[in-house]
Amino acid sequence: MAGTASGLFLRRFCTNTSGARKWSVAQVFRSNFADSLERLRADVSGSDFVAVSLRRTGSPSAPWHRISCFDTLETAYSKARHAAEKFQVLQFAVCPFEVGASKVVAHPYNFHLFPRDELDIKRPSYSFVCQSSHLASMVDEGFDFNACIYDGISYLSREQERLAKVWKGIAVHGKHLEKSSPSPSVADAVFLERTRSRIKQWKNAFEDSSTRNDEPLVRSMRKLILGSEEYGSRPSTTIDVCSQRQVQLALEVLAEFSEDLVPLVIPAKGAGAWVVRAILTSSKEDKILLEQELQNLEHEQTKAFQGFREVIELISGAQKPIVSHNSLNDFTSIYPMFLAPLPSNVDEFLRSLCLVFPQVYDVNHMMKEIAPLGKTTNIPTALSFLNNRFFAPIDVEVSPVTGSEGKIHGLNVVRISHLFVKLCSILRSAPESSQSDSSHQAGTLERFANIFRPWPSADPLDESISIWRNDTRRVNCKDVVFLWGFRKGLSTKMLKSQLQGSHRVFSENFDVRLVDKSCAIVIFWQPGLSDTLLSIMNSSDVSGPLWDLVSEGLKAAGYETYTKLCRLGLFEADLADAFDHNFANHDDYSLDHSTGKNYEIHSSSESMIYLEDL
Amino acid sequence: MNRRCPVRALSRALSRALTTTTATASQAPTPSTFPLKNVTGSNFEPALESLREHVRAADYVAVDLEMTGVTSAPWRESFEFDRYDVRYLKVKDSAEKFAVVQFGVCPFRWDPQELCFVAHPHNFYIFPRQELSFDDPAAYEFLCQTASVDFLAKYQFDFNMCIREGISYLSREQENELLRHLEESSCSQNKHKEFRDVPLISIADVLFSERIKNRMKEWHDELLHDRNCEQFNESSNDSKQQLQTIFYRTRPALALSGFTAHQLRLIQQVTRNHFEDIVYVCVNVQNTCVQPLLVYTDCNTDKDLLMKEVEDENRRGEELKIHSAVGFRHVIDLLSSEQKLIVGHNCFLDVAHIYRKFFGQLPFTAEEFVSSANKHLPYIIDTKVLLNSSDILKYWMRRSKTSLSSSFARLCPQIALGYTSTDLASKACVKVEVQVDDVRASSWNAGAKHEAGYDAFMTGCVFAQACSHLGIKFHPHSSEILAHDEILEKYVNRLFLSWNNQNIIDLSTGSVTGNSVGSTYFNNRYSKISFENIILIWGFPPKLRAREIKECISKVFGPTSVTSVYSLDKTTVFVQFKEAGLVSDFLGLKETLERNDDPISILNPLWKLLDGGNTCAADYETYKEICSSPVSKVYFSDQAWAVGIKWKTKLLKSDVPGEEGIQKQGDANLSPDNAGDSVLGKTNMKGKKSASDDIDRRSFSCGEILDSLCAHEAERVRTY
Repeated sequence: MAGTASGLFLRRFCTNTSGARKWSVAQVFRSNFADSLERLRADVSGSDFVAVSLRRTGSPSAPWHRISCFDTLETAYSKARHAAEKFQVLQFAVCPFEVGASKVVAHPYNFHLFPRDELDIKRPSYSFVCQSSHLASMVDEGFDFNACIYDGISYLSREQERLAKVWKGIAVHGKHLEKSSPSPSVADAVFLERTRSRIKQWKNAFEDSSTRNDEPLVRSMRKLILGSEEYGSRPSTTIDVCSQRQVQLALEVLAEFSEDLVPLVIPAKGAGAWVVRAILTSSKEDKILLEQELQNLEHEQTKAFQGFREVIELISGAQKPIVSHNSLNDFTSIYPMFLAPLPSNVDEFLRSLCLVFPQVYDVNHMMKEIAPLGKTTNIPTALSFLNNRFFAPIDVEVSPVTGSEGKIHGLNVVRISHLFVKLCSILRSAPESSQSDSSHQAGTLERFANIFRPWPSADPLDESISIWRNDTRRVNCKDVVFLWGFRKGLSTKMLKSQLQGSHRVFSENFDVRLVDKSCAIVIFWQPGLSDTLLSIMNSSDVSGPLWDLVSEGLKAAGYETYTKLCRLGLFEADLADAFDHNFANHDDYSLDHSTGKNYEIHSSSESMIYLEDL
Repeated sequence: MNRRCPVRALSRALSRALTTTTATASQAPTPSTFPLKNVTGSNFEPALESLREHVRAADYVAVDLEMTGVTSAPWRESFEFDRYDVRYLKVKDSAEKFAVVQFGVCPFRWDPQELCFVAHPHNFYIFPRQELSFDDPAAYEFLCQTASVDFLAKYQFDFNMCIREGISYLSREQENELLRHLEESSCSQNKHKEFRDVPLISIADVLFSERIKNRMKEWHDELLHDRNCEQFNESSNDSKQQLQTIFYRTRPALALSGFTAHQLRLIQQVTRNHFEDIVYVCVNVQNTCVQPLLVYTDCNTDKDLLMKEVEDENRRGEELKIHSAVGFRHVIDLLSSEQKLIVGHNCFLDVAHIYRKFFGQLPFTAEEFVSSANKHLPYIIDTKVLLNSSDILKYWMRRSKTSLSSSFARLCPQIALGYTSTDLASKACVKVEVQVDDVRASSWNAGAKHEAGYDAFMTGCVFAQACSHLGIKFHPHSSEILAHDEILEKYVNRLFLSWNNQNIIDLSTGSVTGNSVGSTYFNNRYSKISFENIILIWGFPPKLRAREIKECISKVFGPTSVTSVYSLDKTTVFVQFKEAGLVSDFLGLKETLERNDDPISILNPLWKLLDGGNTCAADYETYKEICSSPVSKVYFSDQAWAVGIKWKTKLLKSDVPGEEGIQKQGDANLSPDNAGDSVLGKTNMKGKKSASDDIDRRSFSCGEILDSLCAHEAERVRTY
């Protein structure tokens, strides 16, 4: 009996790439969350990297909503943000892995999330969009929606937790920050003085030894008059406040009595009033004891709030490098689950993300280093691609899981780990372990860290490792013009032939690419022509064949208008509608953004074909 | 004695056997549950056929829907301050965004022999699956409200079943659109039939083309010399799997299989360039896969004929596909064409969903919606309206809640709880039996609440019982009679537009009444809201509560000026003024204060509301405009911004004649002195404690102002 058990154990432990079907992944729900979390904690601390993989309820359906090769980091972020706000993460796979000599030891966990409103505060998510085809394919893969919705783990971001504490009226140990304003207003002064005298009176009543021996009746009368209450075994009093400002003022007063008073801020529950409570302690030791007590209580109460966020806190706290397959999409989803709503600005996003996840690797980008034409965007094809062209045998060991037989769902994260290690070994930056030879490793791997832009910018090193003919041409986004208002269903070729010869700007070398059925990009290979086109389209002296096109409704806009559309979130189904919408409200938006930035965007005649079906 | 005993024993045994068989038979699927026919994609076709019979025979059909959500944002919930047109816009938004996942249909038929109703509860799982690849994928996105999905989960809704096997559907509009698209694409296909040759660059392509050419030539020659295909078949064993001789519409043909798309293109090219009498066509095989064929034709006319035949057949195939994608809508078409009385409980939203999902886009106004919905579903009755409108039924309900489950328990205790008491009350009870797949049952355990099939059954039972209390007699085949019954007639087609303020809309006329039919108990508290007295304020400083806003406005316009302040959400309030004139006064003053933005404006008590510089105010029509937007942000202030409202104050037309009424902040087209003086003058008159701030009264010393402020603050402190 014991023999078979250990045999089974061994076999399962030693499964390698060939036995991928035998890998099993810990499936985590609300019911087994606490146990899994403890195991994950141990696994993460012993790991070199942590791979993550997210599954959402849908992906953008309109062609131009998807991140494309003509996107800059800024527009790509806007698009990713739009999708992240729309769709809900239902599955969050985490896989800490250790890297050995041509071996990966992976510990995959598949967390099922559901944004259940556990606290009745309409958080973490009031509603979310589902795409029926996406859900159907998830069911086909074996995803269990019943388990996910009945028993999925909920979560609150840090900011939501802070708000939840306020809404739920959870007492917070009041900390007086500093003297709020040098010259308090009259009303403030009145409030301060009134509070101060009340506290003094109340405190004196307890310190005054003469009253100790009063009759119970007198004591309770005094209690009533002074408004004294009990907090546990300690006496306390309540200060009513009616604004945040007064909370601060009350704390300012209480700070004057800090040697034996502990302030406690109790937020309004619903429509009630906020309250600041002062608790009287008998000694310094007693005060420390009380503060400790309060902190524990607070911690206990908020632990229930964060739910799945505890996993993200754990990963962030361990400061391990994160490996992801599509880092921009993944982290625009993780950010609002973890920190706060997504900022509108990509720089701000990256800055605050870097504070919590200092090192993020995107296997997709590393893959592009090897196959720059981007044909290998899904993981199995990328893996087989590498297997066919390189000799980099990496064995994968998946630590065995008890109690989830036959559930292989969520294996993607193991494949990401596998792909990452394989890529590292191919790119000669073997991430053996973080201890040995760390300086060398850091140098080679580091250049892949924290790249969130959709397409890696040209790098002199690119040429040196290019394996295929690299015909990627780059164009400055200033030389790009968006055209719309032509007849729908026009092919690229037909549009190009219509444009050719319609005006002298089209006599030079240019290319046309359809973004969706309503809008196209014209790429001028000679600088300056785009400005000419834009200015003649807006002037009245259009003539010849171009005039015919314009009179049929053809319109043009530069790249900065496109950037603006994305930033404002004008995600209409057709890009042409979005442009028209923007023009209709033209005056209302001021360009608060410097449009003079020179974005390098990436364009290649090859990728124009492939990337449309990403 | 001895002789009679065995007989009795036998009869007892017989009766026991009989009861056991009926018991097991009647509760066939699982003995403990309510008998209910669950219908998914796998058993839809036969279920639809049997449902057709039941609906045709039915006196009325009860329906119920389960959705993935109700409101797309908290402020889209139903409020007391919702005028009926705003309410309709909210319902419209809900029906457009959320998906229906379960549809309960329960035909009820009066059985004159047994003197009971026979119900056929059906529970359809439906899912907006995209069946046709050429349909717009955006139409298959839907919203889920977390709370609603969680609610469904609480009642053990099977999401896996719904997603995996749910029946898909197309609305009539979608179907027409797809058919039109098909028409267009086949037309354009005919037009652009020029082919471009693929340049044969690689040597593999050249070899492949050559080989195919030879193989085709061989086949072609053999056909011409000796039309014995069997002989040919035997001779070609090299690529038997890839090329197979078949007959396509009496013509010899080669079926191509196992080629890549590129290879097929090369084959097509070879055919076009080298064989006059062989045609390359793609035909649909059993509506699932496309089979490329090389067909031999005798002459050019035959060739044209063949092309036309193939085209027609492919077209028919596509049409069939569209037809089969109609799916669940067949059930709705059935209800619509049979013109049966449809019974729902608080079903205005349900009707809107049915319209949006199975007919087409919802119109912009409630009146238009009602008239076109009435064309499709001519008789609808709402049991909630019925229970709240009839005094007789109110007596029977004995003031209990009119939610579906509580009215079911109150009106039909014998069905809900299985009582079979013989007291007087149960005499009046209508008997209902349930029939599923030819098995009839008269007793069962209670079904799962909030399962559409069971909810529809409950609704139907409540209706039957209500009819019986109202004294309506049931006849066989009384369907038309039921809808036109003189007692029932005044309740037909009257639905609650909003339960909150008891607005009832008449589907046959489109008129909206705040009062119910024939009721005396009705609470008319909210019907007297005059919407021109209402303004909407949003974007005010956070933490400002409704009471503070009321105080702050009362200080300026007088203590009785504000009737009520109602929070829409934490960013937005409705302020109802005593009279309509105050609305324009308020908006004017707000605009003036913001325009001046000097220390004097800041001392106005209203400034507290304007502090932060993001406070916007507008009249009720703007609220309607914002509700009609397809955008749904969680907070109203974000919504207003997203809708494109970039101004801060919407002045009313009477104030600014000639202007559109929308004015950007800073556009000083009001004469500043006049407007400012008049409004500020009013301020001084009305605002008792307000620190006066008219320009003429600069004589007020700073000290005086501070004193008054201090007094006011101190008083405020006291009140808390």
